[in-house]
Amino acid sequence: MQEALKVEQLSKSYGNLLVLDSLNLCVRQNTVFGLLGANGAGKTTAIECILGTKKADRGSISVLGRDPHKDRRNLFQEVGVQFQEGDYQPEIKVSELCEETACLYKSPSDWKSLCKQFGIKDKVNRTVKSLSGGERQRLFIVLALIPDPKLVFLDELTTGLDAKARRDVWKILENLKSKGLTIFLTSHFMDEVEALCDEICILKNGRAVFCGTATQAKELCSCEKFEDAYLAITGEEGIE
Amino acid sequence: MRTFGTLLKNELKLSIRNMNMVIFAIIMPLLVLVILGFLYGTKSAAGTAYTFLDQSFGALCTISICAGGLMGLPLVVAEYRERKILKRFQVTPVSPVMLLAVEFTIYVIYAVLSMMTLLPVAKLFWNVTIHGSWLAFLGSWMLTMVSTLSIGMMVGGIAKNEKTASVIACVLYFPMLIFSGATLPFEVMPEMMQKIIRVFPMTQGIQLMKETSLGLPAGSVWLPITVMGTVTVLCTGIAVICFKWE
Repeated sequence: MQEALKVEQLSKSYGNLLVLDSLNLCVRQNTVFGLLGANGAGKTTAIECILGTKKADRGSISVLGRDPHKDRRNLFQEVGVQFQEGDYQPEIKVSELCEETACLYKSPSDWKSLCKQFGIKDKVNRTVKSLSGGERQRLFIVLALIPDPKLVFLDELTTGLDAKARRDVWKILENLKSKGLTIFLTSHFMDEVEALCDEICILKNGRAVFCGTATQAKELCSCEKFEDAYLAITGEEGIE
Repeated sequence: MRTFGTLLKNELKLSIRNMNMVIFAIIMPLLVLVILGFLYGTKSAAGTAYTFLDQSFGALCTISICAGGLMGLPLVVAEYRERKILKRFQVTPVSPVMLLAVEFTIYVIYAVLSMMTLLPVAKLFWNVTIHGSWLAFLGSWMLTMVSTLSIGMMVGGIAKNEKTASVIACVLYFPMLIFSGATLPFEVMPEMMQKIIRVFPMTQGIQLMKETSLGLPAGSVWLPITVMGTVTVLCTGIAVICFKWE
């Protein structure tokens, strides 16, 4: 199977602080990949370097076979992104934000049906700032899916959602995966990671301390629950 | 084209919803016109055949240009950068040129609207007319507008955040608004001051608009055209080349 994303020897530091240390990642097409780690482990920096919004100090990055720096405009026709702290124009309405996003792409999805799928159809005439945290989070997932992407980046996708909404989002994502979408996500919910991800990579202080499947992680630590395995891996040094 | 149209429609809606520019670029020029109208009426300017308002009409048209180019445009772009809205655009296929062009067009629309409201009011109440060629007047108006908006694009394109943009904008906006002849007539200022403020591209634009609107024999059209043309090319170039998403 072809790779949707390949990162080799990616390093990045802010001043003297090494945030990413020779990170290698490989995401196969049509899989769900989870990048995990505590706050400050380097997840968001890794995503930003991969997307080209931050410049890596070292390493090579290929997204859908393209260089995100040199080929930005072609690449983002096929890649959707939801940032952790997405922002919007102060007075903008949901419909306007969707329309404004859709108009940037050659063949966008129908944003109205996406809004319906994510349960915010009756909110399209409201201003974005008047939405609840969970509704806004769902809106930003909708925005990431508007390009009808081959690959989507979701940074902390279900933060702020209630249990029911989280399950709904999982279902939609699984459905999209069955249609060929590749998903790159970060999350702090281990049940979510276990339910969704085909492969995971756990970061600790900018280094990958585990790469593999959730089952492998559990076996490695002889834990029954994935969350225990995750804690064991991030808590101990030297497990590769 | 579809992208440009949709972005323009949405951004214009947001700008109007915000009301700042409606007040500073449409209502304020009208207000200044009315005040000048009540003060001077149809009195003729000292030793000339045309009225004081005839002489000031060009300058009144630049208030809106000034408000848009030196306050509106740079502040909006800097705000979008600070709020990470530009960063969201960075991970889409849109180009910086497209975003700047959309904002640029919005302030062109404000300038056109301002002129279209000023002209009938000035004509109706104080019988202000363009004595010279309309084409020359519109040409000089356009040149003034494009050069001023390009300064705004440069400030917006490179300012780190809204605060920096706001400081730079104020430093540019208020002296130009007050001294270039946009609000206070250039003629009432002491000669020494006139000499100093001639370096503003805005002053050059207003003088050229005045000459063309009054139909005066244009003495040195090439100086203002060169000044404003250079400013436009330079500022637009810097805005596009040095554009920062974040």
